[in-house]
Amino acid sequence: MEQLASPNGNSHVNTNAVMESLELPYNRTIQEALGRHEYNFVLCDPRLPDHPIVYASEGFLKMTGYKAQEVLGRNCRFLQGPETDRRTVLEIRDAIREERSCQVRILNYTKQRKPFWNLFHLAPVYSRETGTVVHYVGVQTPLSKSSAEEAGDGNVVSDSLSESGKKVTADNDKNGCLDAHAHQDGDIVANGLDALNSRPRNGGLHLEEEFEVEEKDERRAITAVRSVLSELTKSSKSKGGIAEQRCMSLAESASVGVVCSSLMLSLTRIQQSFVLADPNLPDMPIVHASDMFLHLTGYLREEVVGRNCRFLQGPGTDSKSVQKIRESIKESKPCNVRILNYRKDKQPFWNFLHVAPVRGADGKVAYYVGVQLDVTLADTTECEEGMSAHMKQLGAVGAIRVAVRGLQGDGLRRTKKES
Amino acid sequence: MDKRRLGRMVTIKRCATVVSNYQESMEQQAGCGRNCLGGCCVLGAKLPVFKFVSRCSAKHQQVHVFHGDKTAETAELEDCEDCELMIHDQSNSFLDNLVLAQWEDRTSRGLFRYDVTACETKVLPGKFGFIAQLNEGRHSKKRPTEFRVDQVLQPFDPAKFNFTKVGQEELLFCFEESEDGRSRYFDAATVKGSPNVVVINVSPIEYGHVLLVPKVLDHLPQKLEPETFLLALNFAVEMDNPYFRLGYNSLGAFATINHLHFQAYYLAAPFAVERAPVSALFKEQGGVGIFELAEYPVRGLVFELGRSLEQLADLVVQVCKQLQDYNIPFNVLIADRGTRIFLFPQCYAAKQARGEVDQEYLDTQVNPAVWEISGHIVLKRKEDYEMASEDYAWKLLAEVSLPEAAFNNIKLLCLELGQGNADCHKIHKDTTLADEAGTLLGKQSISIAFHGLSNGSMKVESDYTADIEKSKEICMQS
Repeated sequence: MEQLASPNGNSHVNTNAVMESLELPYNRTIQEALGRHEYNFVLCDPRLPDHPIVYASEGFLKMTGYKAQEVLGRNCRFLQGPETDRRTVLEIRDAIREERSCQVRILNYTKQRKPFWNLFHLAPVYSRETGTVVHYVGVQTPLSKSSAEEAGDGNVVSDSLSESGKKVTADNDKNGCLDAHAHQDGDIVANGLDALNSRPRNGGLHLEEEFEVEEKDERRAITAVRSVLSELTKSSKSKGGIAEQRCMSLAESASVGVVCSSLMLSLTRIQQSFVLADPNLPDMPIVHASDMFLHLTGYLREEVVGRNCRFLQGPGTDSKSVQKIRESIKESKPCNVRILNYRKDKQPFWNFLHVAPVRGADGKVAYYVGVQLDVTLADTTECEEGMSAHMKQLGAVGAIRVAVRGLQGDGLRRTKKES
Repeated sequence: MDKRRLGRMVTIKRCATVVSNYQESMEQQAGCGRNCLGGCCVLGAKLPVFKFVSRCSAKHQQVHVFHGDKTAETAELEDCEDCELMIHDQSNSFLDNLVLAQWEDRTSRGLFRYDVTACETKVLPGKFGFIAQLNEGRHSKKRPTEFRVDQVLQPFDPAKFNFTKVGQEELLFCFEESEDGRSRYFDAATVKGSPNVVVINVSPIEYGHVLLVPKVLDHLPQKLEPETFLLALNFAVEMDNPYFRLGYNSLGAFATINHLHFQAYYLAAPFAVERAPVSALFKEQGGVGIFELAEYPVRGLVFELGRSLEQLADLVVQVCKQLQDYNIPFNVLIADRGTRIFLFPQCYAAKQARGEVDQEYLDTQVNPAVWEISGHIVLKRKEDYEMASEDYAWKLLAEVSLPEAAFNNIKLLCLELGQGNADCHKIHKDTTLADEAGTLLGKQSISIAFHGLSNGSMKVESDYTADIEKSKEICMQS
């Protein structure tokens, strides 16, 4: 399988996964349909490792100077550079944590490392059935000093603007417009953008040129987002379809076993075989299985999510080890067992399994994690350098604990204000 | 008599947090044979060692070599000179995994006083997103002890608890600079010299709470120097995780152990201060960006990475040294993988000593150190946790902030340092800052202010005595 280039070597999303990301929820003609839109936009999949781009429009490629194969499978962060304001990045991160839309002005860079101001609009598309975020749509509207002259063609980043390479301040009042538009956009959590009104942005480093977000840029962004969203909704083929607005709250989706997209982002980074099971649901079903787990056991994700882990057991499995796991769960304690498990093809393997309760921000057990280690062929040769396999297992547990405690989706701006 | 002596030495009473299981049993002596981190046990011992490549010396050229690990990565984007500066979310750094694995291992060995993941935590509704945590276990059952808060610099006192007394099981690994330009990890390597150690905090605030102790055997007091600060920055860079931040508290700003250490832990959410709007004070192409927090309860400065980590460390430490010399307590947060530094000069403890802090805040026993100031507030009582609001957090933190005039002087100083006008700031600091200090801390506290200020400008023994005389005088008058 072809591995796509990755900017920092930590994501290896294969082309199949990128294709599937589009083909599973939408009609076969989706690429074609999206290709008819001239806007600069990308679709990203928060359920794939590192939240990669799974579709990039012609306009986007032209604007940034990249080829399709250079961006597909990669996280959008390659657009950022040394002068990109970190707080703006945080704003986008906040929006993703809360699974809501946002519009920010951000300094981006083309492939040739030319900086340009971009009015970036992010909007999630939700599954109607589960409330899961299927994709994030990211619309880029390059801003320029003379955007009036270029109204017809927003695709080319003007050189004059690239040369300065300096930060500029946004006009507070102009930013205030974002709020109004977010409301128009039908964003149910738009009040989150209130916070943007009252504060100076971007730090106001010495002003050489003033790039303002003009109303027509915003309008253009909104129109683009709407068109793309409606195309996606039209092309949807998944059960219940997809929606521009979420049909249930984050908390509700969590209560039916949906792992929210920002937690998913953390989980997909962990390069270990593991599953998360939700003890608060009947029969403690798996709510997330890592790629390495699927690789180890030979199952497809949809064959394991929603099921209790016991399908891994088989005729040779020692009931004592099963009992040991059960007891540790009863006491909410971690345990290690060496247990005989079976792959989908009935092939047995020795699993050095580590099971541990993982607590959420409320301090209560949110999940049980099971980290598998195939020790069938393991030799016990000591290695002087590097971490032992068991330590890596523990590292995965630690990473999961940090992610699950991360107040995922816990709204800051989203939270109701005492009004 | 007694009162007068107290007046000379400004103290507050507080419970020290128990950071090590060895903190309460101090009777062991050197050559103790119990595997401590002192010279008696550490030298020649086989301990886990992580060797890092300093980002200043080998920019972009580091090759990671981990035996039995697939990592052999060089920058893949050829034409991208900004690779290092590229902003990304968490990634899988080896060091990150190492900290997590080792910490989880110590959890399973039962070394912590409580399970911090069982502590409830929430975002306080509002636009800043302060985070509150209810932590009933952190509260020490020990008697409150007296802490001197009027001396930002104090000599190392070997009689007091320090990290050489910590048992080796509390050590996660040593963090050493690589000699051959390759970063590596050894499960057990012989320790030479005075290692930089990463030890657990047995009373964690969040998952992965550790202390980085530079050159543990050197008995360095809590004082910032460029090399040790750079070490902390390198740690943050090597962790490569924006949700793992390092913090520093000076004496007088709620450090309880006078043995140089940085704290660090994971919290997979932005801190309020990271979101706070800033206004730019100074920025030169390739230079360190200097900003001021524009809308935050505590006045603070923000420094952003320019050309190199070294340059950033140098500037921040220069400013901190001035604060140290002027005896102004401060806290430092190292955020965003070592690329953003927040500096908060503060005066809470001095205010507390003078009885100027509202009883309401004292009752909650929150010590506004670096984490609290950055927006992560650990509360010890359930009722406080339930009542906590953005308004409460704001007011509590506002108590910490240095008054505007005094802060402005630090700002000026910082700008001058930033611009490299080392000559003019010298004159400036002695006049303005000293003048302001009197007003800044109020008449009653003039002893504190003076003490530090005159002390700082000269740092000569005779000055120091004169200074004490001066303080005495003031105390007797009040």
